[in-house]
Amino acid sequence: MSPEIQLAGIHPRSERLIELTRSYERAKASWSQVEVQLGQETREVIKLQDSLGFKHFSDGSLDWQDQLRPVTRSLKGVESGTRYSRWFDTNTFYQKPIIVGKISAGDIDPKNFLRAELLTEKRGRKVTLPGPYTFSQLSENKHYKNYADLLFDIAIAELEIIRRLKNEGVTLFQLSEPCLVYQPYRESFRDHSEVEQALGAIRSLVREKPGDFLVQTYFGDAAPLLPDLLDLPVFGVGIDLFETDVSSLSEQEKTSKALVLGVVDSRESFVENPNWIAATARKFSEKVDARDLVFASNSDLKFVPQGIANQKLEALSKASELFEESR
Amino acid sequence: MPKLFPVQEIGSLAKPKWRTKGLRQQLSSQDLSEAEEWATKLGIQDFHDRAKSIFKTGDDKMRVKAILELSTLYGLRLFEIAGVDNEGVGGEQQRVEMYEHVIKAVQGMNLLGHVHSFDNKYFNKGVAESKISRKHPIYVPEFLDVKKYAHRDVKVPITGPYTLVDWSFSGYYIQKQHASSPKTRRIEAKREFLLDIVEQVIRPEIRDLVDAGASWIQIDEPAVTTHPEPQEMELFVEAWNETVKGFNCKFSDHTCYPSEIGYKVLSEYAPKLDKCDQLALEFANRDTSRLGVDKDSREGYGDLKHFVDAGFSGEFGLGVAHVHDFTGNVSSGAGKSVGRDFIESPELVRDRLLFATRIVGDPAKIWANPDCGLRTRTWDVAFAKLANVTHGAELARETYQ
Repeated sequence: MSPEIQLAGIHPRSERLIELTRSYERAKASWSQVEVQLGQETREVIKLQDSLGFKHFSDGSLDWQDQLRPVTRSLKGVESGTRYSRWFDTNTFYQKPIIVGKISAGDIDPKNFLRAELLTEKRGRKVTLPGPYTFSQLSENKHYKNYADLLFDIAIAELEIIRRLKNEGVTLFQLSEPCLVYQPYRESFRDHSEVEQALGAIRSLVREKPGDFLVQTYFGDAAPLLPDLLDLPVFGVGIDLFETDVSSLSEQEKTSKALVLGVVDSRESFVENPNWIAATARKFSEKVDARDLVFASNSDLKFVPQGIANQKLEALSKASELFEESR
Repeated sequence: MPKLFPVQEIGSLAKPKWRTKGLRQQLSSQDLSEAEEWATKLGIQDFHDRAKSIFKTGDDKMRVKAILELSTLYGLRLFEIAGVDNEGVGGEQQRVEMYEHVIKAVQGMNLLGHVHSFDNKYFNKGVAESKISRKHPIYVPEFLDVKKYAHRDVKVPITGPYTLVDWSFSGYYIQKQHASSPKTRRIEAKREFLLDIVEQVIRPEIRDLVDAGASWIQIDEPAVTTHPEPQEMELFVEAWNETVKGFNCKFSDHTCYPSEIGYKVLSEYAPKLDKCDQLALEFANRDTSRLGVDKDSREGYGDLKHFVDAGFSGEFGLGVAHVHDFTGNVSSGAGKSVGRDFIESPELVRDRLLFATRIVGDPAKIWANPDCGLRTRTWDVAFAKLANVTHGAELARETYQ
């Protein structure tokens, strides 16, 4: 069976939608006009996934203003809206969550997370959320004295969100944890005890149904952490092949987990050749014998224009076929 | 003794509707009604003559030129009336925005389409498709208009080479690299692309600006703090020093919205920046909206100390006014929250300046400015903010008189 292909986060908006949201900002278009276009484009993203043979469909999260915001707005004890911070080393920004009280789940509106009504029930549904460690790292903590308390309270609150989204038919959750491998905002890189805490928080979050979760790392080298990640009780683990030093992985690592290969670069416009993608995946699988491989972009494709993002997905689909043919 | 706490703008103002529409099509008298209203407020006495000539001309190029000149004049007057001491280039009215405006003037680069920046803001991202060079002057025509109309000192903001490269796709430059590791290929491509931008695009532009009479150039480098790794910071310093080499001109850096450690890292490298007389930095965005000169009330300004400790001896352009949407609480006397805007009170501006002075030690080294360009705010809001910055600077000045 050829490797599955998945969306790994927020898909870019089209020029039409961009223009409409700009018009909305200038009070020249109504929000209902924006919503109509959002619905139409969401259908198109789903249709694209269908045509490329995806098994899990995402809605593309076209209405997400940043990777944290729907979670931020669903939590008690968290404020936002006064401060913007840069999303890692990209030219995009997110509203920084400010932790001002004990965190718990607040009003969770599933509509803020996905357009369930547009997704078919015949396929699995995938939603990408910030993992508890990354959410805590990208927030400003003004309340907790003990970092572990903050981390685990986020995990408990996110579990409530996940329960609600399961009711909407979501079958696969990607927990994005770039901060495990990349921390350009910190003076010193996290040590192993912090990793243990982070992985502990993830374990507590996935405990009800571990097989529904992927933990995705990106923007940094996952090689040193891979054995720990593969120990997590989850369906799969994702790594960014543009940052990960594959040569440093120990020979013939074997895992019962799926490995999500971030093998098209969401930060570069050059569309990867399917032959190169397939060859890179083959080289990787000589090093790591994974139960399943999933091909994806290394992170949200929102960093490239939509036309290029779609071409990258097509390249992944073609590469998946090539990979299978050569097996 | 020089004036303490002079006020400067940082760059952009919103583009009036008539300016945007007028670049695409003929304007009607109704289109210019907003301009007429502002002409009264800004004291543009020859507005009607200018409007007539805009209506009369059938030549698109002439109309565009007249509209760009008029909007530049408006921007300059808005800054002057708000009390700004250095009025920049009138709010960058002649530029699309800081990135696209330059990329359009670069041979070998192509704009691919818009990508998300934040909320409903986007930028048109370019790719290098071949070796690059400058097609035509980028900022000089605007500067020549500014020179005609400015009554006060002028600073020319330009987008820095590191940011231009960091915000672009490397395309040609990455595909010609041969290293086996994707990471190494990316770093090598970035260096080659960057040094080409410096030599082929930015230095020729600075030479033309200086020849035309520019005496202060602000190099905007918001991307630098997004890559705090030593290799990247050294690359930034190398590009900066190469950019300013040999020019007789005041240079300043503007860097905003860093990551949490961004300013600390920048502070370590700032003393290595040749001829960098001023750092204009964003602080209001991360500060509280309550009065006070204590550390807690002014928590947003703590990073200033890193620059002082690292030995940066130049001036600071202190961000004392927020430029983005604001939805927080405002304490009594600190200003007012109106819709999505926060208008800082003069007293809050004063407290921010006085707190910063304690850290820097010398009030003569501090300028007051918004965090960044005010292009996301309406002109009414931009004017209100700048007027309060001016008034706040006066209050701070009184403390030393």
